[in-house]
Amino acid sequence: MIVLVLVLLVLFPLLPSSYALGVLTDVLIFGLFAMSLDLLLGYTGLVSFGHAAFFGVGAYVAGIVGIYGGPEIYFTLPAAIIAAALAALVIGFFSIRTAGVYFLMLTLAFSQMVYAAAFKAPFAGGSNGLAGIPRPTLGFGLGFADSIAFYYLVLAIVLASYWTLARLVASPFGKSLRGIKENESRMRSVGYNVQRYKLAAFVIAGAFAGLAGALRAQFNFFVAPDTLYWTTSGIALVMVIIGGAGTLIGPALGAALVQVLQNLISSYTERWPLLLGAVFILFVLYAPKGMIGLLEQRKQVDQETSTQQAKSANAL
Amino acid sequence: MSTDTLSFIAIQFLNGLAYSLLLFLLAAGLSLIFGMMDVVNLAHGSFFLIGTYVGLTIVRVTGNFWIALVVTPLLIGALGLVVERYLIRSLYNRSPLDQVLLTFGLAFILMDLAKWIWGANVLALPAPAALDGSVALFGGQFPKYRLFVIAAGFVLAVVLYYLNDRTSFGAVIRAGVADREMVSGLGINIALVFSIVFAVGIGLAALSGVVAGPIYSAFPGLDFQVLITTLIVVVVGGMGTYKGSLFGSLLIGEVQTFGQAFFPDLALFLIFGIMAAVLLIKPAGLFGREAVA
Amino acid sequence: MSNVQLTRRDFLKTLAVGAGALSMGSLLEACAAPAPSAPLKIGVLLPYSQVYAALGQSITQGMQMYFDSVNNIAGGRALTLIKEDEANDPQGSLTKTRKLIEQDKVDLFTGVVATPVVYALRDLLDSSKMISLISNAGGNDLTRKRKSPYIFRTSFTSWQVASPLGPWVYQNVAKSVMIVAADYGFGHESADAFKETFTKAGGTIVGELYPPFPSTDFGAFLPKIAAAKPPAIYSFFSGSDAANFIKQFADYGLNKDIKITGSGFLVEQDVLPAQGAAANGAYSTLHWALTLDNPENKKFVDDYKAKFNATADVFALQGFDTARVIVDALNAVKGDTSNKDNLLQAIRAVKFNSPRGPFVFDQTTQNVNQFIYYRQVRDTGGGALANVVLGKTDQPVVDPGV
Repeated sequence: MIVLVLVLLVLFPLLPSSYALGVLTDVLIFGLFAMSLDLLLGYTGLVSFGHAAFFGVGAYVAGIVGIYGGPEIYFTLPAAIIAAALAALVIGFFSIRTAGVYFLMLTLAFSQMVYAAAFKAPFAGGSNGLAGIPRPTLGFGLGFADSIAFYYLVLAIVLASYWTLARLVASPFGKSLRGIKENESRMRSVGYNVQRYKLAAFVIAGAFAGLAGALRAQFNFFVAPDTLYWTTSGIALVMVIIGGAGTLIGPALGAALVQVLQNLISSYTERWPLLLGAVFILFVLYAPKGMIGLLEQRKQVDQETSTQQAKSANAL
Repeated sequence: MSTDTLSFIAIQFLNGLAYSLLLFLLAAGLSLIFGMMDVVNLAHGSFFLIGTYVGLTIVRVTGNFWIALVVTPLLIGALGLVVERYLIRSLYNRSPLDQVLLTFGLAFILMDLAKWIWGANVLALPAPAALDGSVALFGGQFPKYRLFVIAAGFVLAVVLYYLNDRTSFGAVIRAGVADREMVSGLGINIALVFSIVFAVGIGLAALSGVVAGPIYSAFPGLDFQVLITTLIVVVVGGMGTYKGSLFGSLLIGEVQTFGQAFFPDLALFLIFGIMAAVLLIKPAGLFGREAVA
Repeated sequence: MSNVQLTRRDFLKTLAVGAGALSMGSLLEACAAPAPSAPLKIGVLLPYSQVYAALGQSITQGMQMYFDSVNNIAGGRALTLIKEDEANDPQGSLTKTRKLIEQDKVDLFTGVVATPVVYALRDLLDSSKMISLISNAGGNDLTRKRKSPYIFRTSFTSWQVASPLGPWVYQNVAKSVMIVAADYGFGHESADAFKETFTKAGGTIVGELYPPFPSTDFGAFLPKIAAAKPPAIYSFFSGSDAANFIKQFADYGLNKDIKITGSGFLVEQDVLPAQGAAANGAYSTLHWALTLDNPENKKFVDDYKAKFNATADVFALQGFDTARVIVDALNAVKGDTSNKDNLLQAIRAVKFNSPRGPFVFDQTTQNVNQFIYYRQVRDTGGGALANVVLGKTDQPVVDPGV
């Protein structure tokens, strides 16, 4: 099954619609962004309302390095990841001292300050945004200017990131994070340096968000300050919640759903904020565990009916 | 200091005061809802804006600002009862994530409904004729309407203080903020209390909308602008306490005003910087209870 | 553990279904080849939600009114508009524009209110060779550093609107001025253009204030203006910022002694109703005015009122003219959109009398060359405020393109 879908993803560019390919590229990028947030939200229990800061830092750094330095991928992507990780280190260091709603607001505050900086910075294009960001190149004249080539680059990076994150959450480190989410004081009493684990998770999540941001800047050849605005953090949270927090795959699905909905609905009606808001509310009321939760429920129902059928077959 | 500078500072102080009291009305409602019901109401700004729109419609129909001032909070408060019953009630004891999503969704819906009904153009809510224009004050001119805002805000602050501190209803609220189960264990119909609290909180937001109308006008986008500032005030002040809302508003209101007056370049940074600074020193806000880790 | 495997399988299943749906759609699209007299598809990207929604609505109504007047036919082909919501989102707009270009395969592209959005789209439009008529976004660079042979602008540049005001204010209003403009790209461009020509004419700038963008409360800045006691201000704000600034300016009594001058958007018809008497007497420049006295404008304003029960504004005018350019150019090439060079030439050659005056494209920058009008807000009877035309530039204003 997995193989079938991976094959589909790999063969997708053979279809004639370059628009659909573009949408899928965007979905993969936001999927990565959402997955990085899930590491914080679903596994460590840190609800951050400022994750867009790292998404944006990655995007801007990739853009600036690409334009003023050089488009070689060996510079742009690592620079973006390191910059985002550093930003996460600084912001995380201060934010981790609080919890709950106060953590939420503190992360919001920091990301708005980064937004303010980007809005005013002339070398970053200011309020008009940064245009002319080049696609990454490999040197020797090879590059990813072609949309199909770039799609494969994104696919490879996102799959690799997913694999890394999946390994991470399955590892002892990941289990410790989950322990912290479930019962922080217990973890502390057992001797874990909880703050350090939280900070580590924050920085890793920030780094992956930065990577996603860099890819997005290169995909669009452009980045605007609204990438850093709190509504971007909000949409990321929505993607994670709708997809199903704590599953990694869920948020990726959530990202796909929200992206597709936003674009699709707005093509047909002006009333798309109303419909989108209604979708959010319906999810909260009827699908509290997100899309993954819905799928699990259906699987359970299927299992129960097949067990029932097996039982009744046996009884005969 | 020259008299010019002194008068400049005095005028800015008054500016800040008017702004603070508007924020206080908003923050008091949001803080109340959070403190009592543990619900982060991201649609609070939307109810503010709907208050402005409904207020201006009532002014258009009746020609009377004061009627709008009284009727709008009652109408929106009633709407709050409905919203609480059918939407918010499902959020109690659920994670803050679900609240974020639900109230965010509600904010989207309200924003679009408002645009559907009143259109996308900026609309004015005219101040009553008696409050139009300015008075000479401290060597400059200060708008009469903003003096009214200060006065009205002050009166409301006193009324809310009285209700909070001197009535049994206030006592129930304060007890509920501190320990919900205990209150319900005392036989008080907690569901009813919640409904009323939410309605009052929303009503305060709508009242703030009408009072702010002649200064801010009504337009799509105002809801989210206001929401962010309100969240900052509530967090800085400390959630759930009356003192927190009041002093948080005063602090943020004056800091933002003086910040804009003296350091306009840093204006965007300033308010978030203050919030970050306060949270780092006192993580639960100035007057808030410590968040349970 | 098995639970996780199941959900992964399901995820991939769902993804497969989704991918299948997307591919079916695109396969069908690719199979349909356009017939020679097939309808002309015009991609329209305008804000229908968020802060600029009012402008998007105006522009669309202006466009629709003109297209309806020619029965929605141009060059012998029926016109279809495919609308997408700009939503003040540059990156989202990129996705939607890609849809218009690659999936809907529009023949022409038009719209865009916000300058950051048009800057985001510029490279895409240029590399796809998508002939585009930008009907609002006024950032100077679009027809200067970032110009493209495929991009035309039927609206204005911020320089074009602001610079004629400088010498005029010096001669007619005040010799010294304080600048108060919104702190973002467009605000600064407008202020810079005015500063340049005003100081060259001999004027002095007594101070500059840039309130954050957006702002609802200018209370902290107004006492600063009062303290400086300038005889006049030059101001740029638009939309709700403009409405609130002008109102609050009057609230603080500043409009008694300080004259208001600014870029036309400060007091355009979309914000005048909200500003009311506070805007009375304000001077501004713009490439159009409601009261412009020519037969085309009278008809435009009356028709707009009859059709939409609303007062026309400069945004509707821009939409109206854009539609006319499209129709005239398509008529000239008899509906043949396959030859891009011919179509480009036809658009460049378009010339007509618009409600704003003579309309013609600059052949180098592909921005419109137009007269700029000096206006003042006055009560035109019964409390209805409008911008009354006091005069116009001697020549059409040509953006320098550098």
